Amino acid sequence: MSSDFETYELDFGTLTADITNKIGRIPKLAGEEKTQLVLNVDKQLEEVRELLEQMDLEVREIPIQSRGMYSSRLKSYKQEMEKLEKDFKRSRIAYSDEVRNELLGDDASSSESQLIKLREERAHLLDNTERLERSSRRLEAGYQIAVETEQVGQEILTNLHSDREKIQRSRDRLRETDANLGKSSRILTSMLRRIIQNRILVFILGAIILLTIILAMYFNLRGH
Amino acid sequence: MDNSGKEKEAMQLMAEADKKVKSSGSFLGGMFGGNHKVEDACEMYARAANMFKMAKNWSAAGSAFCQAARLHMQMQNKLDSATSFVDAGNAYKKADPQEAINCLNAAIDIYTDMGRFTIAAKHHMTIAEIYESELVDIEKAIAHYEQAADYYKGEESNSSANKCLLKVGSYSAQLEQYPKAIEIFEQVATSTMDNPLLKYNAKEYFWKAALCHFIVDELNAKLAIEKYEGMFPAFSDSRECKLLKKLLEAHEEQNNEAFTEAVKEFDSISRLDQWQTTMLLRIKKTIQGDAGDLK
Repeated sequence: MSSDFETYELDFGTLTADITNKIGRIPKLAGEEKTQLVLNVDKQLEEVRELLEQMDLEVREIPIQSRGMYSSRLKSYKQEMEKLEKDFKRSRIAYSDEVRNELLGDDASSSESQLIKLREERAHLLDNTERLERSSRRLEAGYQIAVETEQVGQEILTNLHSDREKIQRSRDRLRETDANLGKSSRILTSMLRRIIQNRILVFILGAIILLTIILAMYFNLRGH
Repeated sequence: MDNSGKEKEAMQLMAEADKKVKSSGSFLGGMFGGNHKVEDACEMYARAANMFKMAKNWSAAGSAFCQAARLHMQMQNKLDSATSFVDAGNAYKKADPQEAINCLNAAIDIYTDMGRFTIAAKHHMTIAEIYESELVDIEKAIAHYEQAADYYKGEESNSSANKCLLKVGSYSAQLEQYPKAIEIFEQVATSTMDNPLLKYNAKEYFWKAALCHFIVDELNAKLAIEKYEGMFPAFSDSRECKLLKKLLEAHEEQNNEAFTEAVKEFDSISRLDQWQTTMLLRIKKTIQGDAGDLK
């Protein structure tokens, strides 16, 4: 019998804990959930009342000598249950913090969200400035490269110009050399011709001398 | 190992060539095969010199080439003599710059005698370069560059002439002969202004001339800049011109920091070379000098 009482006590304990939990949650909710939770708590309160009645019956069955402890316990449980009921009633009509928040609500929550927004904007702006700096650095580097390219171009142009003059000069010299070669070949051919002429002359003269010698010898012999 | 062997061969060749020359000196030798022997000797000298070059004995190579050149002169082969002198000069360049200059001078005399001024000018440039780098004698270098420029002008190679003139200009400015430098830069700038290939260089020359004007006198610089802008409108767009104007302002106000800042800004985009930095430093000193006087 006392063990039954103890099981009843345990059940009482769990149920009351649950009820307190739910009572704590009720004010924060609204509408559908709230009615659900309220019905839940109602049911649990019913269960608690039944538990208490059974505990009462149990206590009556215990002989009067050892009843005292159990009856005092029972009394404290009954008080607890009443307190829970009161709490329950109050919670159903309680103004919760949520309602307060809603009224003054937008300011408080928006000041926080404002802070967050400000921080985000700041990060954006820093990002943008960094991007701008990067772009301007790249532009400068590009400009430097352009200027260097211009200088290189200048040098190349000067080189080209001097090469052009060299080529022109070489071409002129080549033409001169060509003309000179033509002249020298003409001179050589004329030399060749003169040599041939000279040789022919020598042969003719040689032939004439031979002829004269032969004629002289012939006349000599004839004259004898 | 190979090279020292070459050296020995070369010395042998030299000795042989000497003998040949001596033998051709005698009467009989001169009668019969004198010329032939001298020519052979020349060739042997040349070969010996080449072998010395292989052995990297530059001064011996140089002297061998010189001998060959003198023999060629004897035989009235001016062209060969000149080429031998040039070879000697090149060999001596690495060992004894002064000797090199002597040989090159001899070669130049022969060339100018023959009327080949272009090549003479080229050798003047080589001599000037030697003076520039090895025997640091800027005045003689200037003299040779000037000669080279004159010869080039005579032969209508204006771009080579301009190259030499520019060097003359920079060195004269370094030696503080500013009027000469100014004249040269202006001359070069005006001649390159019209040439479509070279006109992009003209602004650089105007900038240098203006710098020299600036060192001499600030008012001169202002007039000069106006004159140049009139002659060559593109000059006013160039960054150098803008820098000049800023520098003029800074100079008028005797503002040292504005001067330095303007120079730094220009330098950050395109580096100033050694010559320009020296000139700008001189200008800056005149600012500081003036400020010192005022105090």
